[in-house]
Amino acid sequence: MDTLTRSHKAQKLIERLPKKLNRQFVASLVGCVHCGMCTNSCHYVLANPDDPTYAPAYKADQIRKLFKRHVDWTGRYLPWWVKAGTVKSDEDLEQLKDTVFGKCTNCRRCSLNCPMGVDYASFNRMARGLLVSVGVMPEGVAAVSKDQWEIGNQMGVLKEDYLDTLEWLSDELAEEFGDEAARIPVDVKDAEVVYAINPREIKYDPRSISDAARIFYQAGENWTMPSEGWDMTNFGLFSGDDELGGTVAKRLYSKVKELRGKKLVISECGHGYRSTRCEGQNWAALGEVGFEMESAVVTMLRYIDQGRIKVDKNANKKPMTFHDSCNFARSCGMTEEPRELLSAVCTEFREMYPNRAENYCCTGGGGAMSMSEYTPRRLKSAKIKADQIRTTGAKMVVTTCHNCVDALNDLIKHYKLDCEVTQLVNLVANALVPTRAAVSVTKVEKPALPLEGYTILVADDEPDITAFFSTALSDQGAQVHCISSADQVLETVRREKPDLVTLDLSMPGRSVGEVFEALRRDPELAKTRVCVITGKPELRSLIYERPVPPPDGFLDKPVSEEKLIFNVRKILEISEKQQ
Amino acid sequence: MSVVLHFAQHTLQEVALFVMAVVYLLRLRWLLSFKPGRDRQRPTGGGEGRSGGLYSLGTIAMPWVMESTRTNPFFYAQFVVFHLAATAAILLSFVIPYAPGLLEVRPVTGLFQLFIGMGFLVGCLRLVRRVTQRTMRALSSPDDYFSLILLTVWLASAFLAAPNDPAGGEGALLAFFFLTAFFLLYVPFSKISHYLYYPFTRYYLGRTLGHRGVFPPRRGPSVSSSI
Ligand code: SF4
Ligand code: SF4
Repeated sequence: MDTLTRSHKAQKLIERLPKKLNRQFVASLVGCVHCGMCTNSCHYVLANPDDPTYAPAYKADQIRKLFKRHVDWTGRYLPWWVKAGTVKSDEDLEQLKDTVFGKCTNCRRCSLNCPMGVDYASFNRMARGLLVSVGVMPEGVAAVSKDQWEIGNQMGVLKEDYLDTLEWLSDELAEEFGDEAARIPVDVKDAEVVYAINPREIKYDPRSISDAARIFYQAGENWTMPSEGWDMTNFGLFSGDDELGGTVAKRLYSKVKELRGKKLVISECGHGYRSTRCEGQNWAALGEVGFEMESAVVTMLRYIDQGRIKVDKNANKKPMTFHDSCNFARSCGMTEEPRELLSAVCTEFREMYPNRAENYCCTGGGGAMSMSEYTPRRLKSAKIKADQIRTTGAKMVVTTCHNCVDALNDLIKHYKLDCEVTQLVNLVANALVPTRAAVSVTKVEKPALPLEGYTILVADDEPDITAFFSTALSDQGAQVHCISSADQVLETVRREKPDLVTLDLSMPGRSVGEVFEALRRDPELAKTRVCVITGKPELRSLIYERPVPPPDGFLDKPVSEEKLIFNVRKILEISEKQQ
Repeated sequence: MSVVLHFAQHTLQEVALFVMAVVYLLRLRWLLSFKPGRDRQRPTGGGEGRSGGLYSLGTIAMPWVMESTRTNPFFYAQFVVFHLAATAAILLSFVIPYAPGLLEVRPVTGLFQLFIGMGFLVGCLRLVRRVTQRTMRALSSPDDYFSLILLTVWLASAFLAAPNDPAGGEGALLAFFFLTAFFLLYVPFSKISHYLYYPFTRYYLGRTLGHRGVFPPRRGPSVSSSI
């Protein structure tokens, strides 16, 4: 082969291809008959019916052609006859990247619809891994992988922030139940349950941790959270990097062993469950891990079955539908447990069609939420999911995955659906009927004005939003200033010295990204807490890709009053503790 | 029967079959030289690898389990007819030289012609689909077109050869047997050899998904700590 005319990266990729192959991949690579039966199973195709480059078999052929040219026989001697091909330049690799990262969420729906049993999603992941190994990947994938390698979790949450959040949540729980036993236990040895979470819970959704804690407390569970190795998500699944996958999985397994935990309970997360429970041991080439692993969905269901917690479904009266996460349902067979649990905690469950292993991807799978360059494509392909939800007429979509929560929120906004997204842990906690003796202590009233003494700047150009935020925050005691242009931000921060700025990303005036960077670079203003609150999450790269410390919080609009206050308090209380 | 027809029906077929078998064996050895991926984790969802594998192999006969076949019954029917026709034509290539008496029974010949004729029509339909649909054109390689044309023409020749009447002219029989020989030699190098890989692809997909509790699909949970 003409190695001299090939770029260094392309050459490395071709050299590494045979080492990545196993019998399953090879069978899938030689087995396609180009019958086209899988075509309409892909959400990208349904959104782009006139573009054949979205067809699963077409996308698969971009990988298959390399296999045919360099590994299989016919393609070596008669490449044009079987459409074998190669990659020569870095541009070719970029094109391959666009296909394997930008046109497929590895949802596996086509795999289940191929009469031949070709598992495209699996070898698409393999191709991602090959590209990553030569340094070709979307920026977001590189950034998240780096955080997971270096900081130990995929959102770069520092240990202090993690422990601070648990501490702060524990204070609230102890106050709520009037019982110190309601605090979140950390690093307790010999616990029955070691609970591992998604870093998104720390960063954007701490309520899901306190909800889980309420459930464990009510169930009288002997549980703990680890102080390190607590991230059960695994970007190795998305990047195709088995080494990262194995390392991350081992971190968590080792921590559970170190704590002598009997069971690892994995909070609601599709890819986290699949990575930790179904793939981690394979990536890490580990045999028996020495403890059990289960999804929090099963744990909650068991508590109800065993009478350890009591629930009142009347607490959740909105009509609900259920979205099956691809990783949870199609790749791990978890289709019935969430339905049983949901039926136990809500009054009206409406099935979405198709469902279970045939469900459509939320379109945020395969790490798509971290690849902002493909956001328009993703949102376009989300139409089928939006139609599915709209047809049910439900007011709430329930799912068992944090990734799906974000993707569903995005598409709900984009397609203007009248619907919210929630997870089972929130519904179960909401439906809990207190049974534990200590609960007889009446709930302690929350402090009347928890934001008293704080100054908050609301920067948003939508008058409805500024009015809503300003009322909600001042009702909690904060002193609030409002501005509606990016040009006013720096000047107002300098003048008013707010403790926190809520920052909209699409205001008139200067680029908000530039303003944010200027704020962070100004020694006098750099410490100002910033919570980005935006209706255009696709713009998040404006902020996160800047070489300055990231914002302290991020919320998607629409945001409820409860969520706003919760997050603002969290940011301010953490910053106070740090000081 | 002329010497050429005798040669085409016997020696040529035997050599072609032998070559095909050897190439297939080499192909299988090549496939098996790749290490199979392993599932080290405990099964999920009450799943089990082997039953998943068997279920997966059986999906071909259960068009209702896959959305792609369930929602395209006409395409599935075409698939069944086409593959039955190919099987009938292969059978015919053995019946003519080794059990010609069978074809003296009119209904038997009629049945062969019915299956093979329908298969020929499906071949034509598939060719039209491959040429007229944009996505199918984008997927297709020269081998895809050639294999389909070859098979369709071969079915037409089988249809004409089925009455097995050399006395009425050897043209149809010669065409059928020479095409059969070419077919046997070409198949291992083309996509038509998919039936060799089919059991592996389906079994491995089923084993993986079986181990993860996806195959066979279940309804109604059982709460177990091993889920
Ligand atoms: S992947 Fe399967 S369904 Fe899709 S074209 Fe290939 S053989 Fe047909
Ligand atoms: S795995 Fe999903 S997203 Fe990828 S091609 Fe198949 S159906 Fe489409």
